[in-house]
Amino acid sequence: MTDGRLRTAIAVLALAGAAVAAYLVYARYTGTRLACTTGGCETVQHSKYAKAAGVPVAVLGLVAYLAVFGTTLSARIEAAAICAAIVFAGLAFGIYLIVIQVAVIDAICQWCITSDVILALLAIASAERFRRAAAKP
Amino acid sequence: MKDLLKKRWVLYAGVAVVALAVAGALIGVSVTGGSKKKEKSAVTTTATGGSKTTTSPGFAVTGAADTAALFRGIPQKLNVLGNPNAPVTMVEFADLQCPFCREYTLQALPTIVKDYVRTGKVKLVFSGMAFIGPDSEKALRAAYAAGVQNRLWNVIDLLYKNQGGENSGWVSDDLLRAVGTAAALDVGRMMADRQSPSVDNALTATSQQAANAHVNQTPTFFAGRTAGGTLSQVPVTSLTPEPFQQALDALLK
Repeated sequence: MTDGRLRTAIAVLALAGAAVAAYLVYARYTGTRLACTTGGCETVQHSKYAKAAGVPVAVLGLVAYLAVFGTTLSARIEAAAICAAIVFAGLAFGIYLIVIQVAVIDAICQWCITSDVILALLAIASAERFRRAAAKP
Repeated sequence: MKDLLKKRWVLYAGVAVVALAVAGALIGVSVTGGSKKKEKSAVTTTATGGSKTTTSPGFAVTGAADTAALFRGIPQKLNVLGNPNAPVTMVEFADLQCPFCREYTLQALPTIVKDYVRTGKVKLVFSGMAFIGPDSEKALRAAYAAGVQNRLWNVIDLLYKNQGGENSGWVSDDLLRAVGTAAALDVGRMMADRQSPSVDNALTATSQQAANAHVNQTPTFFAGRTAGGTLSQVPVTSLTPEPFQQALDALLK
């Protein structure tokens, strides 16, 4: 895969993640009921863990996904580094939130899991992008 | 700077440090509660008259682990606990300040939950009343506000486990925040929802149901086949599991 295609793949994944996060933000601020097959989305979204420092986690996710998308507009190594840092920070926080859902809240939100899968794919792609950028002379 | 960027290990280490720092900060903020309102500490008075401040509001309540274990994995929807399609429904009219309701909750409820609710045979409906006094309504509003987040049963269980003297002011905001934290709720939202129209409506509706059913003491229980529509009063000879087991077993036959 060429560098350009790799960045395109990251951009597409970032937009997919942003769409999930945007839906959760929309539902939160309009009071719309979430489409949910796991039955735990409302419980998770209304738990205290759905906010960090008073900011809804979905808003943080939306900003992060858009920032990742922004980095794909540049081929510079700094952009690849920022992209990898955001994605891996998001992945670590996402794993923490899965543990919280299973062990503390006792409810699973399918939208969070969808976002985590996108983050895992982004982690692979952004790590490869960063590795290639760092390997260039 | 450019020379530094050319060193691969510096790049990798830089990305790893930034990623870990951001993730660590987010997790730290999430664990500690984040907003100022949530960081507000609960204050408990010691026997010597002094006071100690707990770092977490959850520390001030007792029974949090037992309550979490009792209801873990059981669906909740507003004031209903258990499988929505359970063949039998049991309604409890209770006042959160009533010591007999507490006795039932501590002695009989765990067995009912384990043998009938967790197995999907029975669903429980909590109908709160506030006839003992101001602390009853304060506790009830918090319970129904927790119901908006589908955690009413955790909150009423914790309130019973931490029940104080009638109208002694035991239902303080600090206690409610600590109970909400122990129930993994969005505490700020629960505190705000106490005065919401939906909670007002729930209180009015329950009060009307109690009047229609001629409930004049708590706890009072009604049970029946969910599909049948009519519920009959459960004859309660003691606040232990036995009378409830008899009534529920008869309905499940």
